[in-house]
Amino acid sequence: MAQSILAQVSDISVQRGVNNVLERASASVSQGEIVAVIGENGSGKSTLIESFAGIIPLREGKVEWTHGSEKIVVRDSEGRRNPPPPMGLTLQNNAICGDETVSERLSVALSVSGIAIENQRISELLNCWGIGHRSSERISNLSGGLARRLAILCGLAPAVMSEIPRLVLLDEPSEGLDESSTKILKGWIKALSGRGHGILIATHDQEISSCADRIITIAKNSLQTSTGTSNGDPIDIPSSGSTSRRNPVASLVRWSFKTEIRNPVDSVGRATPAIVAILLSYALVGNIDLESHDSNLLAALVLAPGFIVSVSSPAIVSRLEESDSGLWWNAIVGPMARPAYSITAASIFLPIPVSYVSWMIMSTAIDSETSMEVLKWLWVPSLALLDLAIASTALHIMVADLSRSSAAPASLLLVVLVWPFLELTEALSFIIDNGMTFGMSIDDPIPTCLIASLISALVWLTAVIIPEY
Amino acid sequence: MRDVSHAVVPLITVGIIGTIVTAILGFFWAPAVDSNSWNAPEAYRIIYWHVPFAWVSFLAFAILFLGSIFWYAKRSDFGWVMVTIGSEMGLLFGLGVVISGPIWGAAEWGVPWDWGDVRLNTYALLTAVALFLVMSMRSQPDGEETRDTLAAIGLFGFILVPITAMATTIWRNRHPGVIIIETEETGMDSEIRLVLFLGAISLMVLFAGLVSLNYELHSLRKQISDKESKIDEESMQ
Repeated sequence: MAQSILAQVSDISVQRGVNNVLERASASVSQGEIVAVIGENGSGKSTLIESFAGIIPLREGKVEWTHGSEKIVVRDSEGRRNPPPPMGLTLQNNAICGDETVSERLSVALSVSGIAIENQRISELLNCWGIGHRSSERISNLSGGLARRLAILCGLAPAVMSEIPRLVLLDEPSEGLDESSTKILKGWIKALSGRGHGILIATHDQEISSCADRIITIAKNSLQTSTGTSNGDPIDIPSSGSTSRRNPVASLVRWSFKTEIRNPVDSVGRATPAIVAILLSYALVGNIDLESHDSNLLAALVLAPGFIVSVSSPAIVSRLEESDSGLWWNAIVGPMARPAYSITAASIFLPIPVSYVSWMIMSTAIDSETSMEVLKWLWVPSLALLDLAIASTALHIMVADLSRSSAAPASLLLVVLVWPFLELTEALSFIIDNGMTFGMSIDDPIPTCLIASLISALVWLTAVIIPEY
Repeated sequence: MRDVSHAVVPLITVGIIGTIVTAILGFFWAPAVDSNSWNAPEAYRIIYWHVPFAWVSFLAFAILFLGSIFWYAKRSDFGWVMVTIGSEMGLLFGLGVVISGPIWGAAEWGVPWDWGDVRLNTYALLTAVALFLVMSMRSQPDGEETRDTLAAIGLFGFILVPITAMATTIWRNRHPGVIIIETEETGMDSEIRLVLFLGAISLMVLFAGLVSLNYELHSLRKQISDKESKIDEESMQ
C-alpha cells in the first residue's frame, strides 16, 4: 500500500553564494520511509534539508507539507511562507545556544511540537543517549560529542513522543558521534520508521545511508533516486506521549526570557552605556542652571540614556547566530519568527526606569513642583521608547541576516530613529514647561508621543515585512 | 568593451571640467544675492554645487530603488548591478549634499545641522543607507542571500523617505527659508540660473560617466569571476 507523502519539494531551484546548488529538483518523503541524501562535499545535501525545512529562499518551485488531510505551502518562489507542521530537525551545526541547559533544550524541542512531558520522561530520553547525568548543565559546558548527541536527540524526540506520523530532518547526524552513539542513532531511525514517521537524512556515512529505503544522490545540481538496502534493526525507544496544541511563538518567547535570565548579557550590555551616559551628562552639565535654558536640552539629556538602551544591539542576535540557532527557530516558527524576535528581544524593561533615574539625577536644580509633575508623567514618553526599542531590534535583526553581520555597520540604519526620539524630547519639553495636558493638538504631549510611536511602528513594519518577500 | 571605455573617459572629463567651471563661475561671476534677506549672502554660492549634487543623488537613489525592485522581482543580475551602482553613486553624491548643506547652514543659520530640514535629513538618511550598502557589499560574501538582504535594505531606505519627511515636517523648530529669492518681475536671476543649470548638466554628465565606468567594472569583474570558476573546476579534474 502506498504511504501518504509527509513533505515534498517540487521543481525547486536554489542558489547559495554565486552557485546554483539545485536546479528544478523534486523529492518527497512518505510515512514510514527512510530517505538518505548523498553526494560530494558542497553538492547541496544540506541545502535540500534546509529547503524541506523552509529556511532558505527558492528561485523556483515550492515546498509542501501534509498536515492531516491538508497541504501546507511552507515556502515557494513567490515569497509565500507558512510554518511547517510539527517536525524533528537537526542541523549540521547543532543549532543550540550555549546558555540553555540540556534538559531545557530538549523540553523546548518538544514543546514547539506541542509535546509537554514531565521531567521524568525528559530524563528517560536523555538517559537513552547517555546524557541524563548532564541534564541541568549548560550546553556551553558540554563536549562537542555530547552536544551533538543532544542535538540529534532533539531532532528525533518530537517524532518519538508523537503518535501522529512526523517528518524528521537530519543533516549529517553521525558527524561527531562515536561508534556506540551511531548504533543508537541507526536503531532509533529504524524504530521511528516502524512507527510510521518519515526520515530524511543528509549523510556521507555509508553505515547510516545503508539503513535507507531510498537514496537520493545529488550530482551537478540535480537529484537521482535509487532504491536503498534498508539494513539495520530497530531498537527499543521510549513510548509516545500525548500531544496538545502547540505555540512555537510562545516557546520562542519563553526561550528568549530564560536564556536572558540565566545570562543577562542583554540587560547589562544595555544598562552600562546608559548609566555612563547619565553620569557623563551629570558631570558635564551638573553646574549649569538647566532651568534657565531651553527645556529641550534638559529633555534630550533625560531621555538620551533611555534612547541608548533602546538602540543597543540585542543579545538575541548573537544567541541566534550561535551554531545556527536562528536557522532552527526560523524553520520551526516560520514567517512569524522575525516579528517575534524583534518584540521579545527588544529592551522592554529598561527604558522607563532608566528615564526615571536619569530625571532624578539631572533635575536636582529644577523646582520641586515641576519635578513632581514630570515624575508623574515621565512614563508617557518613556513608554513610547519601547516602540522605538522594538523598531531598533527589528533593524538589528534585518542586518543579522547577512552572513558576516558583525562586519556590517548596523548603526547607520538606526539614524531613522532619531526622529521619534526628537518627538519624545519635544513631548517631555512641553511637560517640563507647561505641565501635562491632555489636548489633542499637534503640540500636546500625547499626540507627539503617538506620532513617535507611529514612526517607530512604520520602521518596524518595514524592517519585518520587506525581508520576508 | 572598448566602445564603453571610449565613452567613459570623455563623459567623466567633460563632467569634471564643467563642475570646476561651475565652481569658478559661481564664486567669481554669478551676482550676489540680497544682503538684507540673508545672514550670510556670500555663502549662498555653495548652491551651485549643493543643488546639482542633490538632483543627481536623487537619480542615483532612484537607480538603487529600481534595482532593488528588479532584484526582488526577477533575481536578475542587471537588477543587482543597478543596486550596486545606485548605492555607490548615491553615497558619492549624497555625501556631496550632506557635506555642502551643513557648510551653508553653519554660515546662514549659525548651526551646521537642522533636524527639522526635510531635505537635508532625507538625504542624510539615504546616504547612511547607501554607505551601509557599500560597506556591506565589500565585507559580505557575494551570493543570493546577501543580495536579498541588501536589496531589502535598499528598499527599506527608500520607504524611509516618506517616514523621514513626515517626521521632519512634524519636528519643525527650524525650517529653512527659500534658498533662491525670486523677484516679482524676473524670477530667478538669469545669471544665477545659467550657472546653476551648467552645474546640473555638468554633474549629470559626470554621473553618466561614472555609471558607465561602474557598469564596465562590473562586467569585467563578472568575466574574471567566471574565469576563476572555470580554473577552479579545471584544477579539480
